[in-house]
Amino acid sequence: MAEEHDFKVGVLPCNGIGRLVSTVTRLAGYRIKRMRPEQVVLLSSGRLAVKDPEHTMLLNKYPVLVIDGCRPHCASFMCDELGRTPDARIYVADVAAENKLSIVGEKRRGLTDKGHKLVEAVANKAVEEIDRLIADEMMSAL
Amino acid sequence: MAEKVCLQPCLGLRKEAVLGRQALYVVHEDLRPDTTVLGCGPALNANVQEDIDFIAMYPVLAVESCELDCATKLIAKKGRQVAATIRVTDLVKALNLDLTSLPEEHLDANEPAVQAVAKLIVEQVDSMLQAA
Repeated sequence: MAEEHDFKVGVLPCNGIGRLVSTVTRLAGYRIKRMRPEQVVLLSSGRLAVKDPEHTMLLNKYPVLVIDGCRPHCASFMCDELGRTPDARIYVADVAAENKLSIVGEKRRGLTDKGHKLVEAVANKAVEEIDRLIADEMMSAL
Repeated sequence: MAEKVCLQPCLGLRKEAVLGRQALYVVHEDLRPDTTVLGCGPALNANVQEDIDFIAMYPVLAVESCELDCATKLIAKKGRQVAATIRVTDLVKALNLDLTSLPEEHLDANEPAVQAVAKLIVEQVDSMLQAA
């Protein structure tokens, strides 16, 4: 009988509220889920911060991609705190630099097309990482 | 009397969390900019000094989107107690809002549901400022 595998990736955007990039990570998370609905488990930073058992189980079950919005790298911190080394990390400023995108003038309560370009770039980079992580899991299972 | 109230939302992923988050931007940026601060959960969890200071200096209003009460628990994890907890689910009921008609991922701050929830949160903020 063939062994069944559940090839998914946990995606943890910082999902903060204080900075403009928080809005970018939050919207990127939803976009990533729409781009890879069957492969992505969207993790809640709010629930992980208080060690919610269901989300902690998911964090440990699948490879994890974190998306950090600002300099404290709060999503990465959360993984470290829970003893989980992320399998991939994305830092929004790196994506902005790579794609020469600026969000100056945008508002954290809602983005214009300018901000959504960065959301799209973050989501595209995340999907590349997700596809790589799933391929790696699949190859390892053969 | 407290100078300000620290608004601490749950920052979850569900629709109620999006509604609460957007309402808090309205409260903090439009309605009570001088008497509120906006606490960021992940930053507080990561011990960012500004967020540690917020919960040390001001009474905290936790704005929860479900029964898990993650914002309230996070404040406790950092050794403090919230002064009050408000649930978006209760506000939705009180305002007779139809959540099914709202989009999942983002709500405009001008959305009537966001404005209505913000006004109820402001009532709680004002009450806390007077009581403290």
